[in-house]
This record gives sequence, C-alpha cells and structure tokens, in this order.
Amino acid sequence: MTPVYTDKLSPTTKAPPPVRRVDDKRGTFGMALFVATEAAIFLVMFVAYYYTDKSSAQWRGEIPPKLHYALPMLAVLLSSSGVLYWGEQQVKKMRYGAARLALIGTILLGIVFLVLTYFEDVEHLKTLTPRTDAYGSLFYTITSLHVAHVVFGVLMLLWLLIMPRWEPALYTPHRPYHNIGIYWHFVDTVWFFIVVLLYVAPNIYNYA
Amino acid sequence: MSAAVQQRLLELWETPKTLHGLLSTVDHKQIAKRYIGTAMVFLFIGGIEALIMRIQLARPDQNILGPETYDQIFTMHGMTMIFWYASPILSGFGVYLVPLMIGSRDMAFPRLNAFTYWTYLFSGILLYISPFLGQAPHGGWFAYTPYTSVPYSPGWGMDFYNTALILLTISTTGGAINFIVTILRLRAPGMSISKMPLFLYSTLTVSFVTVFALPALTVANIFLELDRRWATHFFDFARGGTPLLWQQLFWFFGHPWVYIIFLPATGMISMIVPVFSRRPIVGYPYVAVSTVLTGLVGFGVWVHHMFAVGMGGLAMSFFSAASMTISIFTIVQIFAWVATIWKGWPVLTTSMYFALGFIALLVVGGLSGVVTAVIPVDWQVTDTYFVVSHIHYVLVGANMMPVFAALYYWLPKMTGRMLDEKLGKISFWIMFIGFNLAFFPMHILGVLGMPRRIYTYKAGLGWGSTNMLMTVGAFILAFGILISLINFFRSLKLGAIAGKNPWNADTLEWSTESPPEPYGSVHIPTVISRHPLWDEHEEEEDPNGERVLDQDRLTLSSSWLDAEVLALARMPNDTILPLLLAIGFMAIFVALTFQSMWVIVGALVYSFAIAAVWFWPKPEEGELA
Repeated sequence: MTPVYTDKLSPTTKAPPPVRRVDDKRGTFGMALFVATEAAIFLVMFVAYYYTDKSSAQWRGEIPPKLHYALPMLAVLLSSSGVLYWGEQQVKKMRYGAARLALIGTILLGIVFLVLTYFEDVEHLKTLTPRTDAYGSLFYTITSLHVAHVVFGVLMLLWLLIMPRWEPALYTPHRPYHNIGIYWHFVDTVWFFIVVLLYVAPNIYNYA
Repeated sequence: MSAAVQQRLLELWETPKTLHGLLSTVDHKQIAKRYIGTAMVFLFIGGIEALIMRIQLARPDQNILGPETYDQIFTMHGMTMIFWYASPILSGFGVYLVPLMIGSRDMAFPRLNAFTYWTYLFSGILLYISPFLGQAPHGGWFAYTPYTSVPYSPGWGMDFYNTALILLTISTTGGAINFIVTILRLRAPGMSISKMPLFLYSTLTVSFVTVFALPALTVANIFLELDRRWATHFFDFARGGTPLLWQQLFWFFGHPWVYIIFLPATGMISMIVPVFSRRPIVGYPYVAVSTVLTGLVGFGVWVHHMFAVGMGGLAMSFFSAASMTISIFTIVQIFAWVATIWKGWPVLTTSMYFALGFIALLVVGGLSGVVTAVIPVDWQVTDTYFVVSHIHYVLVGANMMPVFAALYYWLPKMTGRMLDEKLGKISFWIMFIGFNLAFFPMHILGVLGMPRRIYTYKAGLGWGSTNMLMTVGAFILAFGILISLINFFRSLKLGAIAGKNPWNADTLEWSTESPPEPYGSVHIPTVISRHPLWDEHEEEEDPNGERVLDQDRLTLSSSWLDAEVLALARMPNDTILPLLLAIGFMAIFVALTFQSMWVIVGALVYSFAIAAVWFWPKPEEGELA
C-alpha cells in the first residue's frame, strides 16, 4: 500500500516540507506494544497455571480436557488468520473488493469459533466448572479471557468492514486493516498456545 | 515573517481557554501539569495519613486509632504514595519534558496521553471512594492472601483495591506505550540513540519494564477479585489453589515497579548534576547501559521479597545473587555523579542541594538494601521496622528528593518564574533533617525487633522515646515540604522572570520560551551532539523555513537508531473523546466493584462506541493536502 505523500507548502514561508512522506507507522507500533503487553498477560496466566499445578496438592482430577472441539477450533482460527493475511495482501494491491470478502470470511470463521466454544463449554461444564477447584478456575479464566479477545476482535473486524476507507490519508495516516490484523493474528496465536499447554500437554502427561 | 509564522503556529496548536478547551486539550504541557498537580495532591493526602500514623505510634499503648482504622490508613498511605504519587509524578515530568527534549511538538499519541491522564485521575477517585464508605482496603499495599480473601476481609475495601489498581494499570501501560513510541520515533533529526539525554534512557527503560511487568499485577488483581466475588479458588488452599501464587505474581510486578519509580528519578539527577557541575556527565555510556541493565535485571530479583516463605536453597541463592548484582548498576551511576561533581565546578543551587541529598540518602537506602539481600540477615529483619526504614530511604530518598530537585530545576520552565533560592535551601535542610530523624531510628527499632504494621506497642519494650523522636521528625519533614509549597505559590507572582535558559543548561527544552509556546519551538531543531545548547551548532538554523511545518499540526518522525528524518507526523486536534472514553472505563470499574452486570455491559458497549468514533477516518479537506 502506498503511503501518503504531500507537497503542500508552508503558508507563511512558502517552503516545501523537508520530507514528503506522511508517517503511517505510529499506529502499528502502538498496536505491536499493546499486543506485547497482552501477550504478557497470557504468559503470566500460563505460568500461574503451571505454578499451581506444581505446588498444589489437589490438581485436575482424573480426566484431562477432551480435544474433539479444541483441535477443530484451532483449525478454524488458523484458517481465519490465513484468510485475513490474504486480505491484507489484497489491500496492498488496492483490490478492495477482495479484501472485503476476506474480512467477511474472517468474521464468519470467528463466529464459528464462538459457536464451537459454546458447545464445548456446555459439554465441559457438566464435569468441571470455574468453581470446582483451582484447576477449573485457571482453565476457565484463561479460556474465557481468550474468548473475550475473540469477541473484541470480531467487533473490530465488523467495524473495519463498515469503514469507508482503509488506505492512509493525511488526517488519518494509519493503516486500520493492517493494525487490526496484527491483533487478530495475536488472538489466534494465543489459542495455539492454549491448545498446546492446556489441552494437549495434560493428555500426554496423563498417558505417560 | 517570523511573527507571521508564530501567529500561524499558534492558530494551529493553541487550545482555547474555555471549559470545552480544558476538557478536550491534548497539549502534552497542559496534561503534564495536571499529572504533576494531581500527583502532588496525592503526596499531601498520603503525607497526612503518615502523620496520623505517627501520632498514633508516638507513645506506647495509645488508642487514638483502633487496629482496623490503623490498618486502613497504612494501606491507603502505601497505595497512595507508591501507586498514585511516585510513578505518576515521574510520568508527569516525562510527559512535559520528553517531547521538548527531543524537539517534537507533542507525544506520539496525544489523545492517548489525555486518556491516560483521565484514567489515572479516575482510578485515584475510585480508590478514595472507599474511605467514605468506611471500608478502605486494609491488607497493606501488597495485600497478601489469604488475609485479603473474603472470609478475613468481607468488606468492600479489597474490591476497591483490585478495581482501582486494574484501572491504574490500564492508564500506566497506555502511558508507557506512548513514551516508547514517542522516544523511538519522534526524536529531532540527528539525535541518534547515542546522543539522547539520559532522562530519555531511563524513561524508555521503565516504559518497557511497565509493558512487561504490569500484566502480573493485573492478573493478580483479576484472580483475587474473582476469588472474592465470583467464588473461584485461585488462592484457596482447600480447593487446590495456593496463596503463594499471589506473592509470586505481586512481587514479579512489584520489584520491577521499584525501578519504575526509581530510574526516571536517577535520569533526572543525571540531567541536573552535570548542569550544576558545569560539565558533561562522566561516563555517559556507562550510565546509559547501567540504566538499561537495571531495568532488565530488575525482572530477576523479585523473590528477595519472599525469602521468609520457605523455598529451595538454589532458588534463593540465585535471587540473592541477582539482588546483589543489581546494586552494581546503581553504584555505577552514583560514581558517575560523584565524578562529575569532582571534575566539575559545582554551583550549589537548591536543585543541586536536593540532588546531593538524594545521593546521600540513596547510599544509605542502597546499603540497607544490599544487607537485606543477604538471606540470613533478611530472615532476622524481615517484617520489622528495618524494612520500613529501607523502603523509605529508597522511595523518599530516591523518588521524593529527585522530584524536588526536578521541581526547583524545571518549574521555572513550566511557569516562567524562578523559585526563591533562600527559601528553597531552608526547605531542603528542614526536609533533610526531618527525614533522617523520622527514618534513621527505624533501623535500630527494626534490629531491636519492633514488627511493622502494628497499631500500638507495650510500654515496657523501651521503644517509646525512639518512636516519639520519629514522630517529631515526620512533622519536621512535613513542615519542610510545606515551605517548598509556599515557595512555589509565592514564585507564581513574585518570582524573578526565568527567561529561556536560566541555568545555562544543555538540553533542548531550554531552547524554548518559558513557559513554552503550545507548539514548542518555531523550527523543529536539529542536533549534532549530546549537548545541543553547549555546542556551536545552531539548532533552529533553517533559512528557508522548511522546518516550521505550519501546513498543519505536524512534527517530524525519524528513525529509531540514527534519527534520520523519515516522514511527517500528523498530530490530532483537540478532542473530548479521551475524557468520554475514560468516563466509560470508570463506569466499568465502579460497576465491577459492586458486580452490577448490566452496568458493566452497558459501559462496555458505550466505551466500544466511543473508541469506534475515535478511530473513524476523518474527512479529508479537498485534495490530500
């Protein structure tokens, strides 16, 4: 995507600006740092999970979480990231119709994830709730925080969908498609780590 | 031409002095003054709480305060001073000085800047609702579980503790992100990373520390609040939880936080000492590197707060060694300051008095810190007044003293008026003597075994006269602060006119008017050395007027390492949206305190709507500029 350039002269000195390009990276930088601090939140929660695992006398009854929802959900989110990445490429090539289709696809996949979450929780809550024990508290707090991120991400993508313009301009010189994309890829990455650390690892642990 | 240029820049940057203007300004100088003013108000509130405690402890077997009231007051004192004074006052100086020091016209995200100020203010108000309900937090500023869980703390106090702190972490994290992007992207052309003033090194370091350490506090607060009001079991031993998790999370945040409120203060000292020693700082690269290393190693020392909980020897040895290592980086800075004074021609202004007082107190506080890093000694003195003494030598010595040095140094830039030197020096001596009277005897009481956080003590223990002495010292300290306060208000009317650079200092903020115009400097400056105002280079040399940038609200964006000009940075106009969003966040956290779900949902929807408007593309005027 081409950034904005300006040749506007100073109204008083009639001089051109020392550089023509308009900065479009501050927003991206800010989003990257926001994602970094969010990642730290999840990291701290994962550490809390394993710390409690190691120091607790009573941890995770007999049954590790089942994988038959988690893995398809991972596939849904990873493919949504792929679709959105393709959309970002289209924005760079200024093919906005295709980018909008990619956006709709990402939102639909995000909603599919939320629906699957609902069915998984209905099933899982029969055997374990956040109030059962510390394991339940940690498990559901981490997954619920992630679901909240998915909901927030879907809302941002919807907002992006109705936005009239994605290319940087002088008054709004940032790149919303790209920046929200960073957030969405981050949310997907978090789910990957949740599946590995909270779903797959306990299953291996249990059979080993 | 120059008058026309200034007129045009004023039109672009000035905020109208109306109510709407006050609520919607994004000018970093106005926001910074609010930060400093609000933080000072919290300093006075926290100070009054301290004096009330000292009255209670002045003599044995007193009953002026009951145990519950005393607990609430020392908790509020700790929280107010550590969270709502010590860090925000440094953010205030940062918000004021960073853009001026790097020759930028504002922070990287001016609206975020306004938002973080409002959330800081609101979080403080949220915390101070609790004493009016008679239920202030009472678990100490570090709120150890299980005492802070519902069976032992059924009131609303600890809920206010959690929600007010989470709101504050949002504010602090937003501010830190703003500092990072500002310092790394908006420096004046030529101010490469090796030419940055040292204050920027410390601000940048603590901003990164904030981004990665504060989440631990947020998570700890979320867990505790869920345990308290949503019936989970994070810290509940009977249901597989562990109370020690709280301590691990809290101190993983807590010790880096000590550096968050310490490093910017050392950065300010590294600015002030060279100016009043009339020479560049000795060992600039070593000071810069040890600042960064303090921030990094600060992540690996938290367990020294927990030596008494019973852990494996290897883990404790590691953290003990790390804690001793970190003192080396502080010592590098202290030697650099001492060498600068030694090799220079010191001018003993009030600001320099406070800087020297800081160095003296920091050495005492640092030494007692090294002592407590040694595990056997720590076991002996933990939870006694020795630790109270250490924390106050470090926090008052390493935060309040530099802040007063900075006030005497930079207030003339902010108000345009000099403070009275004679009054200032009187204030310094009274504060210095009062401080040492109030806190040095605590070392002795600690070794004698007086535990911290007791609301009274028995007469036969022989602690009475020392405690009385400390109370007298606390009042002397408060009186000294009061003199500086009077000095400040007096200077607003009677102070000598400061002019651009009253101290003949070297950094860019002194090239602007005092107080600076809303746009900063007329031409964006260029820099070729570490001491722009002491070298031959003319910063604002710009014969064609290319760098006046009065096409719009503009400043220059540059590369993070070499500060080569990259692009024009467009700055947003004044807007009331940050205040509206902060109100939404306040509503969320007030509702969270009392678990009213529908208010939470409503406030979330409102906040999302405000944010959606905030980031909506603005209409462009005709052609793209």
